[in-house]
Amino acid sequence: MSVLRRKRGLPAVLLVLLLAACGGGGGGNSSGGPVAVTPEMPASRDAAARFLTQATFGPTEAAVDRVMAIGYAAWIDEQFTKPVFAHRATWESADAAAKAADPANTNAGVYQNGTINAFWKAAVTGEDQLRQRMAYALSQIMVISMQDGTVGDNPRAVAAYLDLLADKGLSTYRALLEGVALHPMMGTYLSHLRNQKADARTGRVPDENFAREVMQLFSIGLHELNTDGSARLNAGSRIDTYTSADIGGLARVFTGWSWDCPGWPANNCFFSGSLSGASDPDRQFKPMRGYAQYHSGEVKAFLGRTIAAQTAADPIASLTEALETLANHPSAGPFIGKQLIQRLVTSNPSPAYVSAVAAAFADNGSGVRGDLKHVLKTILMHPEARAVNSNSGKLREPVLRLSAFLRAYNFRSDSGEFRVGNTDNPGTSLGQTPMRSPSVFNFYRPGYVAPGTRATAAGLVVPEMQIVHETTVAGYVNFMRDNVSAGVGSFNSALNRREMQGDFTADLVLADRAPELVALANRKLMFGSMPAALASEIEAAVSSIVIPVSTGSNQAAIDSAKRNRVNAALFLTLVSPEFQVQK
Amino acid sequence: MTLLINPNSSRRLFLRQAGALATLGAASPLALNLAAMGAASAQTAPDYKALVCIFLFGGNDAYNMVLPTDTASWSAYSAVRNQAPESIALLAPGTAANPAAAIGSPARLGGVLPIVPVSVQGRSFALHPMLTTLQSMFDTDRRLAIVPNVGPLVLPTTKAQYALSSHLKPANLFSHNDQQNTWQTFQPEGATVGWGGRLGDLMAAGNQRAIFTAISASGNAVWLSGQDVRQYQVSGNGAIRMGADSNGRIYGSTAVAAAMDRIVRNGRGGHVFEGDLGAVSQRSIDAEVALRTALKPASDALFGTAPASGTYNANNDPKLRYTPDPLAPGTTAFNALAQQLQVVARVIEASGSTGVGARRQVFFVSLGGFDSHDAQNRNQADLMARLGHAMRYFDTTLGAIGARNQVTAFTASDFGRTFTSNGDGTDHGWGAHHFVMGGAVRGGDLYGNFPALALKNTNNNNFDGSPNLLDNGKLLPEVAVDQFGATLGRWFGATDTQLLDVFPNLANFSNRNLGFMV
Repeated sequence: MSVLRRKRGLPAVLLVLLLAACGGGGGGNSSGGPVAVTPEMPASRDAAARFLTQATFGPTEAAVDRVMAIGYAAWIDEQFTKPVFAHRATWESADAAAKAADPANTNAGVYQNGTINAFWKAAVTGEDQLRQRMAYALSQIMVISMQDGTVGDNPRAVAAYLDLLADKGLSTYRALLEGVALHPMMGTYLSHLRNQKADARTGRVPDENFAREVMQLFSIGLHELNTDGSARLNAGSRIDTYTSADIGGLARVFTGWSWDCPGWPANNCFFSGSLSGASDPDRQFKPMRGYAQYHSGEVKAFLGRTIAAQTAADPIASLTEALETLANHPSAGPFIGKQLIQRLVTSNPSPAYVSAVAAAFADNGSGVRGDLKHVLKTILMHPEARAVNSNSGKLREPVLRLSAFLRAYNFRSDSGEFRVGNTDNPGTSLGQTPMRSPSVFNFYRPGYVAPGTRATAAGLVVPEMQIVHETTVAGYVNFMRDNVSAGVGSFNSALNRREMQGDFTADLVLADRAPELVALANRKLMFGSMPAALASEIEAAVSSIVIPVSTGSNQAAIDSAKRNRVNAALFLTLVSPEFQVQK
Repeated sequence: MTLLINPNSSRRLFLRQAGALATLGAASPLALNLAAMGAASAQTAPDYKALVCIFLFGGNDAYNMVLPTDTASWSAYSAVRNQAPESIALLAPGTAANPAAAIGSPARLGGVLPIVPVSVQGRSFALHPMLTTLQSMFDTDRRLAIVPNVGPLVLPTTKAQYALSSHLKPANLFSHNDQQNTWQTFQPEGATVGWGGRLGDLMAAGNQRAIFTAISASGNAVWLSGQDVRQYQVSGNGAIRMGADSNGRIYGSTAVAAAMDRIVRNGRGGHVFEGDLGAVSQRSIDAEVALRTALKPASDALFGTAPASGTYNANNDPKLRYTPDPLAPGTTAFNALAQQLQVVARVIEASGSTGVGARRQVFFVSLGGFDSHDAQNRNQADLMARLGHAMRYFDTTLGAIGARNQVTAFTASDFGRTFTSNGDGTDHGWGAHHFVMGGAVRGGDLYGNFPALALKNTNNNNFDGSPNLLDNGKLLPEVAVDQFGATLGRWFGATDTQLLDVFPNLANFSNRNLGFMV
């Protein structure tokens, strides 16, 4: 269906004038450089809602109003200036409240759920939606996970990691890579925290974990890429970006890094983060420090670069050269850029789309490489993002299905903490929890090909299908069935209800008019893209719920029937394949 | 051959089965026994067989799972692996466990557990200290076999050949996702057909319902996908009913429940992803209806422990709980791998019922967390305890349902790990030792040459002292996954020709039957 559907009642001439007046994209925006020419103003509220589905955790009426008023590019620029949601501060506040509420209990606190809930609070209520959506996308590329026991034991630091991604995610790629490499939670997850140089006498070798994964997953991938995201070929075969020798050489760079410490660079600080009882209470998220005595001074050869032997081991010099090499690698732009397109817009971008994003990565127009604001704006403003094609789009991941529902119905939290909690269980919940990926390879692979599907036969990848199976589809339906009728999150015994409740006022008004009720659900959840056949199906089901005639004393029954009609309309929309596939 | 037609079979099923008989030929091992398939009682058919893949995600350190304890091997092992700050070298057989030592440390675990294979190859062997259940499975029950140094290979490969770019090797060695895929499909990430599914393709005609041919009790596993057979996934708790309550209502309405059923099964917008999503929902709903009545409950004494009161909760079932620390035997924890094997056992037990009607099945279960770059002692000890407990639980349960001889389980993993230590852990390797368990297994022996251990070179990370050890002591496999899988596939009922088709590299190896099955 065309995004440029004419708004009812608006003369064609006026529409053309509006488009002409706003001009194409580019020029004067804070991220600099030209972007692909595309209509600046949404053609309709539905088009704006579709844009917001890509750029936020779900459209709201207020956000649609804003995009309609100032247009796509200006909205993006405005997003970059919004106050930044602070996950760590949110975690600390909730943790303090939990301890204050139960002072005799030494185990009181919010733990991992505090971090998860901070994510949801940002997703549902945060003003800086685009920044947080970018941070969430990056959390699925530069992965750490609380499924790791030690990471899970440091939820405050994991909240700080989300803050890092939100901050550096709108900086340069080079700065982001450095922040990630030096974050102690990444050091814990990929075991380069306290990694020591080799011991030639005993035969101990450095840990290679981070060196391998920073190349394979966080920067350049396994095979050299063209700017359009396709694999470069040598005599018909793909070209490996690195060998085992490269990993060994790069692993030497990631030796000698450990916690910041009042006694740095004492040996004890390296091994335990403390000296004579003094440690830094924020050591689990302050950038790691280099400890020269544990850093390899050997020659470090990787990816065609050689760092000469260091008579005085210099961890910072080694790291700088390594990060520069990775960030400047020609594969980085298409490798990272294509994945960001997949997280936000479509699983199968055209080569031209990837090229445009890779070009934006290479140079933002002012000579800066890896300007992530510019990359993000290019992704969202590209004509391929703004238009609907038959095979474009993506299967919404479970977290984003829930977030769209929570935002569309203006959910509020009794506690203010948005206590969604752990949603890992595939049979009863989402089968996905933010910051709890099963491994550093994320919930799903960018190139996942689902066996036996029509998508595969058509040559399409569908990453999010990797976590879809016969249990998850039932778990999702049952979870949303209860979320719609009872609310979301942990039970609030004081009010005898789940602590997150939505606002269905506008929907209840339409309860006795099924077509309008379903049309409203269509606008709120599917930006108007619901096919007529689905709408008819839902309307019929809604209408089958009888609203009793008023007897003067049966208002409760009438209200219940109306609520069930609303429940049915929302539920059937949310479980439809048409909602689950964002197009 | 007389065809006894099950009156419940559809005409289409009959034609498919008759067609399958025609193509299989008189010498086919698949003697179709429709009378057994029609049996109302839930028992396995007399010629029922199942393969169960126990995938250890992350790359299990097989060096610490099966160990050579002869003097020469042990001295190399201890020297290479005893590194500061935390030695990962396990201790010699007979060493007493030290209760004062840290959890999971070699000292607290005590010495490795001696096993006596029939063919000792002039050496002696032992298992990780946590594997007491598998020590007895190997030595006493003789239902456990060990295949040393298995890994993906295209061709037999020596060290000299490994160094040649012209010598064909699997792609993307040492990469987790690619090697997980290579073990399952013989190709890196992106392949859509696995050898478990291919074996299922060959046998599916003997199953009443193709959907129950290849089953995962874990997540999606491409091992289970065939050219025709599709994976069916079931949770540890069994199949989950979608949407409606037991009265068939949602929000009190049968019409809403019926609408949900119609809506989830397909998209109406024509987008290819919608149809694919709908197909999964169709399978979910239809399979749950069959399993709802076919599966005995988890609380049945065959599989679990009925609670004294209230509803069954797997987390509290003593049969599904393992002991993380043998020095604290009263403390147990829930073992998710055991619960996966519980639902596998329930499906096997129901395979003869009309709801399932299967004669050949392949199953996939898994345990994660094996990527022991650090904290290997503690992490691997816990994982070995889970593995040993779950495998013994499965063997006991198969005994209770009378299916031991008909079910063969085997371990698999991305790769083994480096012989060298990085100070408290290991990095990605290649070849690894694996277990095969079942009543039809010729247990109590090693099936392949156990690699030679040696000391690392002084001036580099190579191991010139052993033909089996590459840089950092990654094992150069001697047995190909093709050979390992073909031995299992032969028992499962595939012919020599079919095995060459399913296992693409098998033709490059002369020994196509490793001999660990009866």
